[in-house]
Amino acid sequence: MDEGEFAQLQKAVHDARRPLNRITMQSELIKLALEGAVPPDKAMAALDKIIAGCKDCSDSLSDMVAGFSPNNNDAGSSIE
Amino acid sequence: MLTVLLVDDDAEFTDVACTIIEFLGHEVLTASTLAEARDWLSKETFDHILLDFMLPDGSGLHLMESLQPEQQTRVTLITGHPSVKGIIKDMCGPNIDYLVKPIQREDLESVLKGKKQPANKRTTAAITKHFGQLIGESAPMQELYKLIGRVSKTKANVMLLGESGVGKEVVAAAIHEASECEGTYVATNCGAFSKELIGSELFGHEKGAFTGAVGRKEGVFEQAENGTLFLDEITEMPIDMQPNLLRVLENKVVIRVGGTKAMPVNCRVVSATNRNMEEIAESKVLREDIYFRLAVFPITIPPLRERKEDIPLLAEYFINQLNEENDSQFRWQAVQLEKLQTYDWPGNVRELRHFVHRAAIMSDPQGTDIELPKTIESPFAKKQTLSTGLKAGRTIEEVEKELIYATLEKVDGNKTTAAEMLGISTKTLYNRLHAYGDLNSDSE
Repeated sequence: MDEGEFAQLQKAVHDARRPLNRITMQSELIKLALEGAVPPDKAMAALDKIIAGCKDCSDSLSDMVAGFSPNNNDAGSSIE
Repeated sequence: MLTVLLVDDDAEFTDVACTIIEFLGHEVLTASTLAEARDWLSKETFDHILLDFMLPDGSGLHLMESLQPEQQTRVTLITGHPSVKGIIKDMCGPNIDYLVKPIQREDLESVLKGKKQPANKRTTAAITKHFGQLIGESAPMQELYKLIGRVSKTKANVMLLGESGVGKEVVAAAIHEASECEGTYVATNCGAFSKELIGSELFGHEKGAFTGAVGRKEGVFEQAENGTLFLDEITEMPIDMQPNLLRVLENKVVIRVGGTKAMPVNCRVVSATNRNMEEIAESKVLREDIYFRLAVFPITIPPLRERKEDIPLLAEYFINQLNEENDSQFRWQAVQLEKLQTYDWPGNVRELRHFVHRAAIMSDPQGTDIELPKTIESPFAKKQTLSTGLKAGRTIEEVEKELIYATLEKVDGNKTTAAEMLGISTKTLYNRLHAYGDLNSDSE
């Protein structure tokens, strides 16, 4: 892996970590809802956002695999 | 409460983070770009800025130029890139911290608390809890630690002697801690049970042993197997129950009330009384054979007035505890600690702890100053005023009787309140009044 490819990988990981951060924070919100600190409907919305976040994360990982596939001559170009 | 500026272009993240930061008791404003953040900084003053490293119009680091150094704003850089962590760490000054995504509630709580945590931690860490329980560095306490250390290496039964409030139960727990035994620590108060129930409490009972014994019950000796059994107010145990206790101590077997099977027991017995040895011998509240079984190793715990140098340490410990419980920032002033040392604390450490608690309640919760009453007074102080008029030649029993009647007079004969003021159980008070022959059955 050359420097360009490594930079692309770093960016891909950075993008995948974004939905993970949302998932973590939404989970914290659900904990607050269970403690009674925020209304329960917020917990329901948070669960939907967690599901969406998981899909985003999965998409990011698929893009990453595609971008670094040996069949892809321009590694990383598809994950811009 | 802090005023926080959260700078991040991820709207979903900022939305949830705001809810959490507000839940933590802070006020929060948001910006999604450097330009917006700069705009807020020109209008408002912030205690803390949570700043995303990568923003649509540039690096979050550019915002640092807009900060006024005299404002002492703390900055926490948020990054999704662990490699950036090293770079930030190198440039971190005393007011700059960093968080790596994904972030949890505890991470936010910890960076927002960062300002006041070190002060609390320093003061708590400076106070040593000997055997995980005891506070004090004075010579009498060092002697006590030596005795605890020695006896913990043996299986000997210990009798703790000391005035009310000196911390007999805490010393018992310290002996248990130092013994590093497998079993648990079980505490019971011999003055708190009626003659009918104490046998069941100590030795357990079988189902149907007496009316109300609906099931089998383990006694405290069984519960403390391989551990430590603390028998508080041992001198209040009815004298006719003491042979049963003696049998257990001698034979190391227990028979449940209503049972026939002798079960082996193995625990250290730590007993306690607020009477001194002479009084125990004279008043005949404890059989001699029981005394020698229980007091294989007697330890006298010093009253607080004999270790006044420990008062600031204890006061510091109690206020730190209250600060942690109530999220307050109270601090003693040197002159206040000196004032605490001038008082004799007849109710000992218990009285000091309650006094600190009362002072904290009276003080402004937003401030750091502790408001002390002009004079330190407690019902126990009566003991002091009485003692000034004492002359040699009177017995302890006479003085105790005088104190009990003086206290009863003060509370219009209310025995529960009087017992509380005297630092003894109501049962003990009744026992004393019975002994004085001044209590008829209908007054109970």
